[in-house]
Amino acid sequence: MPAATAEKAGPRARPQVFPFTAIVGQEEMKLALTLNVIDPRIGGVLVMGHRGTGKSTTVRALAEVLPSITCVRDDPYNRTPEELIAEEQPRVGRRRAKPDDLETRSIPVPVIDLPLGATEDRVCGTIDIEQALTHGVKSFEPGLLAKANRGFLYIDEVNLLDDHLVDVLLDVAASGRNVVEREGISIRHPARFVLVGSGNPEEGELRPQLLDRFGLYARILTITDLDARVEVVRRRRAFDDDPSTFFRRWNRAQQSLTRDIVAARERLPQVILPDAVLIDIARLCMQLEIDGHRGELTITRTAQAYAALKGDETVSRAHVRAIVGLALRHRLRKDPLETLDPGERIERELARVFGEDQGA
Amino acid sequence: MDLARQAMLMLAIEPALGGVVVPATVGSGKSTLARAFGDLLPTGCPFIELPLNVTEDRLLGGIDLEATLATGRRAVQRGLLAQAHTGVLYVDAINLLDSGAVTQVVDALSRGEVIVEREGLSEIHPARFMLVGTWDPSDGEVRMGLLDRIGLIVPLAAQSDWRMRHEIVTTVLAASGGPGGRRGGRDEEHEDAIAGLREHLAAARGRLQQIEMTEEQMRALVSASLSLGVEGNRADVFAARAARASAALAGRDEVTDQDLETAIKLVLMPRATCIPNGEEELLPEEPKPSAQNDQEGAASSPDGAEQAEGAEGPTQDAPEDGSPESTDEASMDRSGDDDAEETGAAPPAGMLEELLLEAEATEMPADILSVSVAHRARSRAGSRGEALNDHRGRFVRVQPGSPRKGRIALIPTLLAAAPWQDSRREDAAAQGRTPRAGLLIRGEDLRIRQYRDKSGTLFMFLVDASGSMALNRMRQAKGALASLLQNAYVHRDQVALIAFRGEKAEVLLPPSQSVDRAKRELDILPTGGGTPLASALHEGLELARRARSRGISQVTFILITDGHGNIGLAQATDPSAPRPDRATLDAEIQALAAATVAAGVGAVVVDTQAKYLSRGAAEHLARQLQGRYFYLPNARADQIVEAVLS
Repeated sequence: MPAATAEKAGPRARPQVFPFTAIVGQEEMKLALTLNVIDPRIGGVLVMGHRGTGKSTTVRALAEVLPSITCVRDDPYNRTPEELIAEEQPRVGRRRAKPDDLETRSIPVPVIDLPLGATEDRVCGTIDIEQALTHGVKSFEPGLLAKANRGFLYIDEVNLLDDHLVDVLLDVAASGRNVVEREGISIRHPARFVLVGSGNPEEGELRPQLLDRFGLYARILTITDLDARVEVVRRRRAFDDDPSTFFRRWNRAQQSLTRDIVAARERLPQVILPDAVLIDIARLCMQLEIDGHRGELTITRTAQAYAALKGDETVSRAHVRAIVGLALRHRLRKDPLETLDPGERIERELARVFGEDQGA
Repeated sequence: MDLARQAMLMLAIEPALGGVVVPATVGSGKSTLARAFGDLLPTGCPFIELPLNVTEDRLLGGIDLEATLATGRRAVQRGLLAQAHTGVLYVDAINLLDSGAVTQVVDALSRGEVIVEREGLSEIHPARFMLVGTWDPSDGEVRMGLLDRIGLIVPLAAQSDWRMRHEIVTTVLAASGGPGGRRGGRDEEHEDAIAGLREHLAAARGRLQQIEMTEEQMRALVSASLSLGVEGNRADVFAARAARASAALAGRDEVTDQDLETAIKLVLMPRATCIPNGEEELLPEEPKPSAQNDQEGAASSPDGAEQAEGAEGPTQDAPEDGSPESTDEASMDRSGDDDAEETGAAPPAGMLEELLLEAEATEMPADILSVSVAHRARSRAGSRGEALNDHRGRFVRVQPGSPRKGRIALIPTLLAAAPWQDSRREDAAAQGRTPRAGLLIRGEDLRIRQYRDKSGTLFMFLVDASGSMALNRMRQAKGALASLLQNAYVHRDQVALIAFRGEKAEVLLPPSQSVDRAKRELDILPTGGGTPLASALHEGLELARRARSRGISQVTFILITDGHGNIGLAQATDPSAPRPDRATLDAEIQALAAATVAAGVGAVVVDTQAKYLSRGAAEHLARQLQGRYFYLPNARADQIVEAVLS
């Protein structure tokens, strides 16, 4: 929604976004996003649910709480010195360059918006037409996939994305690399990003292959608590009235979340996953007849990230329980006749698998 | 003050309301009205009219290749969305706007800017505009995703034709009552009136920021929103803005109950998904036809389909609509008709009330949809859904591609080749070849035209929910339907749902891509009453005609029925009409079937009658419709058991 009145709306910079921490409720979505920041290998989040529940507001707000990453200065693909050296083998004088030779800078984790109207050349990158015209030089102009490397790629209304762009995304998401061959130029560059999509299922469904690509699935419902809803209106009003003041008021909470995320990231490699929990996870997936192993992998990674966020060093059943719905909801075999909500089905199996064992 | 006028003035005061949608029929002076609104805004506010057939290029902007080639520097052409920044984006017949364009407009509304990532261009253009849309309710619904981002929705009942023409145009322009609106009104009196109104609005705008709502008022609005079942928080935020804008418009410094009422009427009511109980005072002017009122009730069937999706009232009303009388009559029909054998499967007459049955597993030929499509001569490429394609539909954009895949776009191809001429000549020279004179065009320069076949195939499910379908057969049918829907979803087709029971057919779900919604409607589909098969075909044809006018190229009926129609068309409009005899009923079906065939609508008939009872009515119907016939097998016992236990 337009955040400013006509009078205010001058040719100023991008509209200020609503702070992540000021978003009321919708904990599931916020948790799913946070876990992906802690461990990008979780594979992204699909946020589906009712209109007007702050899906895109929340994702766009994410950028403000993300920690920064180190990359080679002016590298269009945000690579670390090590990555750049491995791929391009640059030389300094006669010898091969070492990581210390490259100048680095710290940038916020990129959050790149992929608009629905984007054309394929801008997504994948193409030959720079200006360079060609003015200098007759063929140079590659990186696209959105390049910008999103090591960051987030966000697609609002992902269920309405044109099929040819979905194909491109599936391809790149599977390989982690983007390949462009054009006008005699051949470019390969890393494109590893956390895919975040949002949409309303009533507007259209998502292609199954794409659905499967998302690590987590957060479902958003309308808040039915009166006080919480009033609070939403109140905060929005305060934000519209004076965004800067509002942002300052939430600054402390924002920074504290960023610190938690950084701490969790550091803790993550040390988090232990006991065999017993791993077996539970496997049993649960078997009970729910999940195809393939992506389900198990996602649960373990997500549970580890969750434990890290909670400051724990060992993954427990409680951790698994907290995130298993996020990881499995979209992986249950589609039974068109199933009226039971996938979440409830997972809950039921959870009780079966975990419940028995707790008794024993 | 009437609502449409009030809504416009409120929007002029508080652009953050996003926009206003006004129902208006053809010739009611709606564009005059929209332009009049433009005149009320501060000077310098652009007024951009969005043509319905706008291309993505024009909408979002892109590179101006001609200028780029001429200057050697990138020249950018702003799109209409960006041009409307700080002003008005006007869409006439917003319900007919191409779905691709709707998506872009929604995106711009949600971001307040347009992100251009096209054709070598990467830019962000601010695009905070007010969307003013009009729609003709007889011409289909406005997509809910779009409606949701528009703050003010003028309810259907609030405005009639002549009032549109007379009151709004004249009164918005000239509060003093100067005659003639814009057409007659370039006179001084008129200019004065506009100037006066603009001054008033400017003052209101200044006042707006100071107006605060009390805690109680905010709670009142949100409670209303909750009890109306409004989805999401955006509506709440809009409602609060609307209340304040209404106060500002009235020249007040604080929000009163009257302002809250206005906000509820313009923001929350149109988004209601349920009618609250015991809160009648919240519904001062019901915009929806109510079930109790006979006259409006009769009109509710066609209107229901066309109303905004947000107003799900009509479908919710469905169970009450054909209440006791119809059930009684239905049971009479049934005993009077040659359906006597049905009594075994159906519950006793006294229990014929609404049976809400869960969908249940049934096996269904998985390829039923593709079969039905393939056999229609119309479907050439088999490309379904809303995907872009290379040969039919509306031209959307130019895309690199092979000429085997579509028509070459000559100019874009030449333009694509142009920048590379120098470097290609150098390359050729370096390889020792002499390039031929003229343009050097390579395969990768080729541009083909892409078309959007607006909505692909529409599968219209005509579901017999009559008494003869009660209990198990209905469960099977629902199961079958659910698996069919699933299939449609995989292919990204559109689905619509028409149920027929009692006196007439009813559109439960207008054409939509949402299988979710279809399933939901199906879950609460009541059964009981007669079998108005003729009315179902009639409604289906009407819906198909409307869908065609919106660019849907192909419509297929999927009839799930036993084929025994026993209610005539006349009874659909007048329940007291005498029940026609068999011959009349048959003639009606015959005529409607012929009309269906003539309209090029495909058909699949799924027979639900137990085989030992069947006299082939459904099969006959399939032949009449020149469609395919499937026999719905009995559900397997274990599936039923499993469903009961879970």
